[in-house]
Amino acid sequence: MTSIDPTLVEERPGDRPPILDGPNDYASVTEDVCRIAEPPVTQTPKGWLMGFALASTILLVLGAMVAHLFLTGVGVWGNRSPVFWGWPIVNFVFWVGIGHAGTLISAILFLFRQKWRTSINRFAEAMTIFAVMCAGLFPGIHVGRVWLAYYLFPIPNQMQMWPNFRSPLLWDVFAVGTYATVSLLFWYMGMIPDLATLRDRATSKVRRLAYGIFSLGWTGSNRQWHRFERAYLILAALATPLVLSVHSVVSFDFAVAQLPGWHTTIFPPYFVAGAIFSGFAMVVTLMVPARQFFGLKRIVTVRHLEAMNKVILATGTMVGYAYGMEFFISWYGGNPAETFTFVNRAFGPYAWAYWIMVSCNVLAPQVFWFKKARTSIPIMMVVAIFVNIGMWFERFVITVTSLSRDFVPSSWGYFSPTWVDVLTLIGSFGLFFTLFLLFCRFLPTVAMAEVKAAMPEPGHGHAERPPAGGAEPAPEGGR
Amino acid sequence: MQHSVDPSVIFGENRTLGPGRRKLMLGALGVGVVATAASIVLGLAGDGQRFQRAWLVSLAFFLTLSLGSLFFVAINHVTRAGWSIVVRRQAELFASLLPLLALLTLPVLVPLVLGSGELWIWNDHAWVEGHHHMHHKEGWLSMPFFVVRVAIYFAIWTRLARSFLRNSLAQDADGARVHTGRNQRLSAPALLLFALSVSFASFDLLMSLDPLWFSTIYGVYIFAGATLGCFAVLILTSMLLQRSGRLEHAITTDHYHDLGKFMFAFVVFWAYIAFSQFMLIWYGDLPEETRFFANRATGVWGDASYALLFGQFVVPFAGLLSRHVKRNKPALAFWAVWILVFHWLDMQWLVMPNELHEGVAQPALFHVLDVTCLLAVGGIWVAGYAWLARERSLVPERDPYLGESLAFKNV
Amino acid sequence: MNPEHAPGQGPEDGVHAVVAEFSHPHDLAAACEKVRDAGFTRWDAYTPFPVHGLDDAMGIKPTILPWVVLAGGITGCGGGLLLQYWANSIAYPFIISGKPMFSIPANVPIMFELTILLSAFAAFFGNLLMGGLPRFSNPLFRMPRFRRATSDRFFISIERSDPRFAEAKALLSGLAGAVVVEECPVDTSSDEIPRVVRYTGLTVGLLALAPFFLFFTARNTTSTEPQFHVVPDMDFQPKYKAQTENDMFADGRAMRLPVAGTVARGELRDDEHLQDGTIDGVWAKDLPPSITGDAAFMARGREVFAIYCSVCHGLDGRGDGLVTRRAQQKGLSWVRPTDMLQDTVRVQDIGQLYGTVKNGIRNMPSYAAQIGVRDRWAAVYYVRALQRAGYASLDDVPPGERAKLEKKGDD
Repeated sequence: MTSIDPTLVEERPGDRPPILDGPNDYASVTEDVCRIAEPPVTQTPKGWLMGFALASTILLVLGAMVAHLFLTGVGVWGNRSPVFWGWPIVNFVFWVGIGHAGTLISAILFLFRQKWRTSINRFAEAMTIFAVMCAGLFPGIHVGRVWLAYYLFPIPNQMQMWPNFRSPLLWDVFAVGTYATVSLLFWYMGMIPDLATLRDRATSKVRRLAYGIFSLGWTGSNRQWHRFERAYLILAALATPLVLSVHSVVSFDFAVAQLPGWHTTIFPPYFVAGAIFSGFAMVVTLMVPARQFFGLKRIVTVRHLEAMNKVILATGTMVGYAYGMEFFISWYGGNPAETFTFVNRAFGPYAWAYWIMVSCNVLAPQVFWFKKARTSIPIMMVVAIFVNIGMWFERFVITVTSLSRDFVPSSWGYFSPTWVDVLTLIGSFGLFFTLFLLFCRFLPTVAMAEVKAAMPEPGHGHAERPPAGGAEPAPEGGR
Repeated sequence: MQHSVDPSVIFGENRTLGPGRRKLMLGALGVGVVATAASIVLGLAGDGQRFQRAWLVSLAFFLTLSLGSLFFVAINHVTRAGWSIVVRRQAELFASLLPLLALLTLPVLVPLVLGSGELWIWNDHAWVEGHHHMHHKEGWLSMPFFVVRVAIYFAIWTRLARSFLRNSLAQDADGARVHTGRNQRLSAPALLLFALSVSFASFDLLMSLDPLWFSTIYGVYIFAGATLGCFAVLILTSMLLQRSGRLEHAITTDHYHDLGKFMFAFVVFWAYIAFSQFMLIWYGDLPEETRFFANRATGVWGDASYALLFGQFVVPFAGLLSRHVKRNKPALAFWAVWILVFHWLDMQWLVMPNELHEGVAQPALFHVLDVTCLLAVGGIWVAGYAWLARERSLVPERDPYLGESLAFKNV
Repeated sequence: MNPEHAPGQGPEDGVHAVVAEFSHPHDLAAACEKVRDAGFTRWDAYTPFPVHGLDDAMGIKPTILPWVVLAGGITGCGGGLLLQYWANSIAYPFIISGKPMFSIPANVPIMFELTILLSAFAAFFGNLLMGGLPRFSNPLFRMPRFRRATSDRFFISIERSDPRFAEAKALLSGLAGAVVVEECPVDTSSDEIPRVVRYTGLTVGLLALAPFFLFFTARNTTSTEPQFHVVPDMDFQPKYKAQTENDMFADGRAMRLPVAGTVARGELRDDEHLQDGTIDGVWAKDLPPSITGDAAFMARGREVFAIYCSVCHGLDGRGDGLVTRRAQQKGLSWVRPTDMLQDTVRVQDIGQLYGTVKNGIRNMPSYAAQIGVRDRWAAVYYVRALQRAGYASLDDVPPGERAKLEKKGDD
């Protein structure tokens, strides 16, 4: 891995660096992106095949664990009194959190006109969808009698029973379900023009047919674009509050309870910040090897990664703020059970988990205050992986420490996962990476149309900025 | 694709407060001083407690506007925003009023130092004695430490606001980009300091009015209201400046559209934070937490709660949804005024109904002191603005992003 | 809307449209303005990405899509509220965690999610349907050159159905930047769906119906076969149920009797004085030796009395508790509880009072289930105090306390 892009020139304050590196035109963007998806099956790159073999093997492990769970019952997990919400909920919240970066990059950064997002949004959206699938798996399988999982939904049934709409667990069903649906629509809609590009470049009949069906006959007509852009803007405007709501609702699962360490009002924004944090870390974790492997360095530049690292720093610090506020108010509020819970987190039997969480989530990203660290591929990779680990432990700390030691010392306990817990978590990564590799191989990994729209127009004088290094119409001086 | 406009067109603009400045400053100062005197007289002669509370409401109102402006400046630097340059100087000036607001804390801090527990009841030792839940935080909520903390908050804010304004003004003079670089570098740590100081300041100045109550989201709630108020005030001052023939071409419908979008976004954000706080407390139903809403659930304060729900969320949400409204100046001005009115009510709602002595009647919703105190703080605040603006440009006229901002077109 | 021709029904000359190709978006925009000004109506521009300013250049009116989305959102919000109201308040009402059946704060999250969901559906499907998608067959796709419309080339196509079509070719050829102008032939190929797609679709459709068919048959047939056990572990657990056989024991019963003389923990009752209040069958005159009658015990007795006894007997034991008074007020036939201060009760031994609590008497039920042994003694110990207090004179009061009573007068 290279440590720094040669094109990353030191920019002066007030510069607008170009979004892409090197000489690019519309055709080269099309070519760079499409050639990843276009080789025939027989010419699949070896590295991809190896990765896919590994990921699908791990996916098989997940399948085996789920089968074992179904055939034997939830007793194969470590969930037992007093910790009935063990690893499954930790994994669920972890994956849902990961799934927040995609929609954030697509929607919120779109509304904020952050054009650098165009290079990575497709990637991040795909990641969102796969992460939400991994997340949805856990509530689905943890209900014990899985063939009754449809009880989660308000479906008229022969017992004339309806779910309890006053329960945050049902809100969760609606929030995660809506989120998965809207993310899918958003992802797919943004992809239609790019699928049309693949259709028009396809050489084999099968590909032409397949891409043809999914591109719905898109021609790039401006009358279509006009409505498409409005629809995309509306979807972005809808997805923005949605993305905030999803993790807020997940936080309600905990915060409406009166359990010390769960019942605190900052939970909704705190969870949302944590979700964005973990999602961005996962995007960096995936993007760094992917741009290397698929030759996307001109489109996904170090500047893109640097911008993401800044978001990681910001959200990591917000998470640190929430940890601090919780601690402070647990003392200020004067409820001895609350105070005990927080002291117990930091110095009790799970202190190891707590300090892993703090060092990974709050301390590690602080290196991103330095530009050197933000633009160094090895450092950002290490920090991003730390953050992934730290965010998993955050959910572990919240869930397990509060449950294992609540008000009554006689009912305290210590939670230990079983081998099935561990392999199920690992297996969920298999699901994630299998889907992700399939996406990279067959679908447009970069939103070509959006990148082109954000590019300076080649050969035209009205370009916002000439390519890097060039002179610019300097606004300084003025008089 | 954003095109750039030659930024020197700005020099054709009427871009200082100019001749009207003296009149504005003296007029506002006159109103402020007279209202302050009237408030103090009314307070001493009649309801001293109401005076302190009303003063705190007015202080909180203008303090949040200035803090929101400080946030606006910092967040625009940290994101390298280009569109907002034409309105940034307003925010820089409002933020630089923070040291003035430090001075305006005296009417509530002096009684505190003199031992009054009328406003902050934790200063009433007899009351604290009777509440064992107070004993562990007696050191935290004690007069000397409290005053020291307030001084620290204002020191932080003053330092940040001064640095931003100084660099920006220096750029007006020499046009060097290094000033932009300085402000950008300052902005990230500034936001960190801002988050911590605003949170603890809101805990101290407002949340400790009911020292038995606590909510971790309180700082975020204050921040949401502050930023919302800041956008409303930016819209209104821009319009007033333009109406009086200043910056007529610099600020366009597209800038108003964007400010309107942000105002709309923060209406939603405020509602999100307020709902999170309310719903979790309502759902948990623990007496030590519900006391806050119980105090605001009956009588006129129950009506005020509903007024906030509709006035600060439902109605402006529906009103600001359409892009046509955000691009229509009179309509946007109406909503900006509306937001400010309800932001004031929000502060009133936070400060007034905190009756901790059993059997004491709820305070009235409105009182003549509320008006005089608002005029007092507001008059001095506006006078401070006019004094700060002096003959200075009302746009950062040599900012490197200015061309981009002038050419800004909304999607 | 895209003008449409069903394939094969084009005009006689076999031309569907004239198409001009451009390599730069700005040339395209300039060309579009010309085509618009020339008064064409059935034409379109094709670009690989949305080109800004093209909507104006083409004279496209704003879409009504936002209104469709608003309608979707309102439907979702109202529908969400109705669904929750109907399901939890009417169809299947039940109380949980002390919340009202219809609790708006708890309904907000789902209302919100459904608002977003239906708005998103409206935006997505509205966009497709209003744009005439999906439309798999398009004559333009037959032009090899047109394939670059999704990559790096820009096109204008004027269709045969335009009334001014005759001028189209000349106009397009004269445009600056038009690289190539050519005619697009009418699509004469078969409009049949390819066989692969048809059969795949048919198979998937039939398979999708299978579960419904299975449900339907399962619900409409009877069977003598045993139930199908999806997960047998829960239905067949390795344990013996009550009242079943077990060959392992001589008597063949799965349930075992406890060993003779077994006493459950805490159930050993060998202290007659303590448990029954008697000594050799005669009411005891004092507290059992294991209990010390001190002030703390008396205080406990007062608590127990207040909780269990006072509701009927009254706080002073005179038999006018709240229940009694309420019954009298309502005019119910209610036997007034015994006045515990009357002589017949006062002469009873403490053991007998204990026995009354434990066993009940006349209308009074046994309180053994509610009150533990020690607390029963505490209660009767307190009753003794009440009885004495009812006939007390000033001499009974300790000398230090007398002054207080005298001060308070006849209280």
